Amino acid sequence: MRIKFVKPGLLTTIQDQGRWNYLALGVPVSGAMDALAANMASIVLGNEKGSAVLEFTYAGACFETETAILMAYAGGGAVMRINDRDLPILRPVYVPAGALVTLIKSPEGCRTYMAVAGGWNIPVVLGSRSTYLPARFGGYQGRAIQAGDVIGAVRNFSDSTRQILKSLQGNLLKFTSWSMAAQQFLPANRFQIRVVPGREFTWFEGGSLVSFLTKPYTLDLRSDRMGYQLNGTQMLRSVKKELLSTATLPGTIQVTGDGRLVILMVDGQTTGGYPRIAHVAMVDLPLCGQLKPGDQIQFSEISAVEAEILWLDRSYQLQKLEIALTNKLNNRDNLWR
Amino acid sequence: MDIAIYALSEYAVTMEFSVVIDGSVADLISRFNAHLLQHPFPGLQTLVPAYGSLTIVFDPLVVVQATILPGSDCLEKVSTFLKVSFNQFDQETVRKSAAVIKNIPVCYGGGYGPDLDYLASILALTTNEVVQLHSSAIYRVFMIGFVPGFAYLGGLDHRLEIARKGTPRNSVPAGSVGIAGKQTGIYSLETPGGWQIIGRTPLRMFDANRKEPVLLKAGDRVSFTTITEKEFNQYKEARCE
Repeated sequence: MRIKFVKPGLLTTIQDQGRWNYLALGVPVSGAMDALAANMASIVLGNEKGSAVLEFTYAGACFETETAILMAYAGGGAVMRINDRDLPILRPVYVPAGALVTLIKSPEGCRTYMAVAGGWNIPVVLGSRSTYLPARFGGYQGRAIQAGDVIGAVRNFSDSTRQILKSLQGNLLKFTSWSMAAQQFLPANRFQIRVVPGREFTWFEGGSLVSFLTKPYTLDLRSDRMGYQLNGTQMLRSVKKELLSTATLPGTIQVTGDGRLVILMVDGQTTGGYPRIAHVAMVDLPLCGQLKPGDQIQFSEISAVEAEILWLDRSYQLQKLEIALTNKLNNRDNLWR
Repeated sequence: MDIAIYALSEYAVTMEFSVVIDGSVADLISRFNAHLLQHPFPGLQTLVPAYGSLTIVFDPLVVVQATILPGSDCLEKVSTFLKVSFNQFDQETVRKSAAVIKNIPVCYGGGYGPDLDYLASILALTTNEVVQLHSSAIYRVFMIGFVPGFAYLGGLDHRLEIARKGTPRNSVPAGSVGIAGKQTGIYSLETPGGWQIIGRTPLRMFDANRKEPVLLKAGDRVSFTTITEKEFNQYKEARCE
């Protein structure tokens, strides 16, 4: 299975579950900004969770299928279209060779994830296939996808993938009658971001903390895979101590010298010396991955224990989905419709 | 020793050993880092040492199911393990392997060290004195951070302390050796940066495709040797560039 890019779009990269074992060397986690959507695209195809996917930023990309492919996509950055036909999300789609797939604007989010049966065949660098652009390694030759690039899939399918492929393959564009029931993962308000107070939470004035947890904040144009700068009420310090640089992670919310909030994202630096007012609950980090400059968000506080329970619950739900796919393919339906 | 342990995320806790820079604490962190890697708990993913802290990254799904870890949530389970582990870990008798001093060749001044003259004039030293002071000390790697392979070195002669540049450069070449406050460091990649640049090493401090991606790690000892521009080029040629 192989595709060739006609137009790369604004920023298209290969990502996976991230590069976790080199933080001590200053190598960021990287990986999909919306890891939930990336995982769902993989799971629905019977791929391993965390296998390599394409991360598209907004619409505009266009690729041709050089061979027939079995694919799935998720995330709210764009709708995939062949001629006038929109491809359904969260559903295995069989696309015959020679089709032109275009990403069309969607009002929903920012990033779209595309998985292919077996996962994209990309060399592993430092334990991951994720692209880390600032140091130009990982992914497709350490860079973003360009027009003319050809990428193919790993020829090693799971039993589920083989079953899906068998049911769809032929000369026509086809998709399964069922799709993943993903509503359970989508909150009523995707601009409400739950946070857990950080180590230096109490270094800020009471009024600032009230603003932090009640007032809206807007993503600045200076927002990318490394982090988001937020515009909104300035945070005033009551404790003016210096902080020794220490580890930071995706989701860490720092306050810079001018009182501005910064959310570190997946390509964010591994250490930092700014006070950490809070961190984004892991379960809501995928929501952050879909934000774009100009989006307005609001933080709400939860406890560390609550955040952990939510995260564990999310992990179990994803495990259940994987099991449910096998059941579905063997006509033991439950989570799929 | 009073060590604070706090959650950095649902999947990471930080042990805070000290809130000030202290060489003996840094050595202790390095040794405990090594101890934990040899005696991990179920679900341990990776460790991130910094100046006065050690961050422990783990898989919450594995930790929460690990019945050998007492406690009801991950923070409790991991912190309990870390406290016990730290108490058992013998801080004194751990074999102090004679620290190897890694040598980094540096071509000081000229185009490679554009801030050397400025630094010397502000510090009321000659450029030779600056180079002499910088290349005669033995430094300790406190932390790798900022970008892959960027080593923060402590042990700078106090006569060389100087503030960062008022306006950071948009681009500092890889290998540049700089000074900021009490620290010196080597830019591992071409990045923006505000440190005062006094020289450059021909060595590649970070290479993702190398078996050992970084030349320096937290806990290492480092010294600098002066090389000429000609020698700098010879190093580069030896690397087939």
